[in-house]
Amino acid sequence: MKLSWKLFFITTPIFIIFLTVFGTWMVQDNFWSSFDREVEACMVENQMFQNSYELTKHALSETQREQASTKKIVESFYRRRGKADGNARVLGTHWEVLYQDNDLNIEHSIMEQLDDSHNVGYEIKRSGDEVYVVVLCRNVFGEYIETTKNITEVFENRTEMYSRYRMGVLLMAVLVGGVILLVLFFVMRNMQKLSRATRQFARGKYDTRVAIRSNDEIGTLAADFNWMANAMNTQMEQLQNEVQRQEEFTAAFAHELKTPLTSIIGYADTIRQMDLSPEETDMCADYIYRQGKRLQSLSYKLMEMTLAEKQEISYQEIYVPEFLQEIQRVVAVSLQEKNLRLSVSAQEGVIYGDRELLASVFINLIDNARKASEEGKNIWMTGVAMPGGYSVTVEDEGRGISPEELSRITEPFYMVDKSRARKEGGAGLGLALCRKIIELHQGSWQFQSEPGKGLKITVLFGLPEVTGRERTRRRREQRRAEKERKKGRRRQRNTER
Amino acid sequence: MIKILIVEDEEPIANLIRMNLVKAGYQCEIASDGEEAANVIQERTFDLMLLDIMLPKLNGYEVLEYAKVVDIPVIFLTAMGETQQKVKGLKMGAEDYIAKPFEIAELLARVETVLRRYKKTERKLKLLDIEIDTDSRTVTQNGCPVDLTTKEYELLLLFLRNKNRALYRETIYENVWGGEYSGNSRTVDLHVQRLKKKLGLEEHITAIYKVGYRLVI
Repeated sequence: MKLSWKLFFITTPIFIIFLTVFGTWMVQDNFWSSFDREVEACMVENQMFQNSYELTKHALSETQREQASTKKIVESFYRRRGKADGNARVLGTHWEVLYQDNDLNIEHSIMEQLDDSHNVGYEIKRSGDEVYVVVLCRNVFGEYIETTKNITEVFENRTEMYSRYRMGVLLMAVLVGGVILLVLFFVMRNMQKLSRATRQFARGKYDTRVAIRSNDEIGTLAADFNWMANAMNTQMEQLQNEVQRQEEFTAAFAHELKTPLTSIIGYADTIRQMDLSPEETDMCADYIYRQGKRLQSLSYKLMEMTLAEKQEISYQEIYVPEFLQEIQRVVAVSLQEKNLRLSVSAQEGVIYGDRELLASVFINLIDNARKASEEGKNIWMTGVAMPGGYSVTVEDEGRGISPEELSRITEPFYMVDKSRARKEGGAGLGLALCRKIIELHQGSWQFQSEPGKGLKITVLFGLPEVTGRERTRRRREQRRAEKERKKGRRRQRNTER
Repeated sequence: MIKILIVEDEEPIANLIRMNLVKAGYQCEIASDGEEAANVIQERTFDLMLLDIMLPKLNGYEVLEYAKVVDIPVIFLTAMGETQQKVKGLKMGAEDYIAKPFEIAELLARVETVLRRYKKTERKLKLLDIEIDTDSRTVTQNGCPVDLTTKEYELLLLFLRNKNRALYRETIYENVWGGEYSGNSRTVDLHVQRLKKKLGLEEHITAIYKVGYRLVI
């Protein structure tokens, strides 16, 4: 059974039961108070009748009393104060009827209740459809005075109220049931939306989101769902990008591997199958040697990349001016071959990272600058300390790179000038390797270039990440220092006074 | 003479192909990027184009469009061995596909096949007193027809295409029978013996110790 029906079948009956109990109590209470009032009124009536009767009868002399009939007595005070409300009877000491307003004869047994201490009693009597309250009292003359009042209305009222109330309850039940169903429907519609969205998501429609804007738990759940979906999408996108990058890498790698292999196999095949002239053989051998070298450089670079990926970075403080000079020493020989000048300047400062990996980044960048530069040009390597980090810039006066190529130069195996890169023994992996290392160090880099105007690469390093505990410690220290300062100022003021 | 255009940006590979095709008797020209290739085929006519896919400026598929206009048959030549790319190239109208790295004999065989399909080669090949009609696949010697099995016929063509070239047993096997050469099979030797006997080529097809055979003319 659906949750909404379950809730409906639980809430509605509970509501009806409460309504019924409460209503019954109300009606019954109302009835009893009316009933009591009627009985009371009848008693008062009886009392008044008795008083009037006794007064009138007392006023008569002994003889008059015997001559005058009861009827006369009653009529005489009826004339003064009006007829009794309801029906009055006067009975003699032996239950003979001395007077009666009308011929309503209701059997009762009140006299048996009366004794010396109780001279008034009442009884409820039913005669046909009518209900009467009968009050009987014994007066000082030993006669009985009986007043009767029709209280059918009280009972009828109760019945009518009951029936009206039943209608009310029925109406309320329908109304309340409807409202509950409506509310549940709205709530459940959101739930269904949510569940539909979940199913769609599970079926692979990963852009599914739920549009529920409410502050209740379901709204929160919907927001959570969307949040989860977003997180998953981001995750999946990352994975997809990763896979795509991997595929591109594999394709490029296959190409880079097969090209020298084709030459090596082809020339070797030619040598072994043909009678070649010595010059031709030399040429073939030269090609084989060079392409073999190319394969070697490719495999070295790949190895470096794999190592960089696998390696745990051993963070250490690197004092930049000394570090850059060290790099200058390493690259000096290869730069001399092309008669290039490398100027190094660095501000005081440190970067945090793996010394060897970072050295390989800057050696690669300078190597690229060397390949792009003509003889006799300049290369600058500049270190600048910045708030919250340190930047190292490598700038050359080489050929430069066009903007559309700039966006691709960090792709593995991408070469701006293929034939030249080949001649220089490049595999197209240098910048890809640098990118990997910089990413490992949570650093970033920027390229600035125009064709013919050289290339400027700026590598930015942040401060090492501050751990949570370290942060609290620092904050505490800061607060203490602040307090000290305040205290000092106060003391100063005091002494001034 | 048959003219072949080699479109390849890797200079060593372009030279390798040219060297071997020239030795096989073709005339060759090299274009080192897509644009150059597109220009060259509009200026001069070629009988066949060997086209690399990953090229600077215009890629192989784009150059293929130009080649179709001037009606030059194209054999793709590429390092990407993905089936999808092969299919794409063939669907676009390339005649054949050679995956790098390739063997020279395979290159020559494919070139010849495409040329024959386009009737650019001589229909009748001649070797000493033997005449081969590649259309009807018949071989006659001094005017008398010689019965050759399919494999023997293929073997003869292979020798003819690779005159003076040492053919390794594995190369022969892979080109005539197809599939991987198991190493100790006598199939190649048996067929070569029978071919030599049938056509009286004992003097010209020489065995090379531990290698295979060579047709010496």
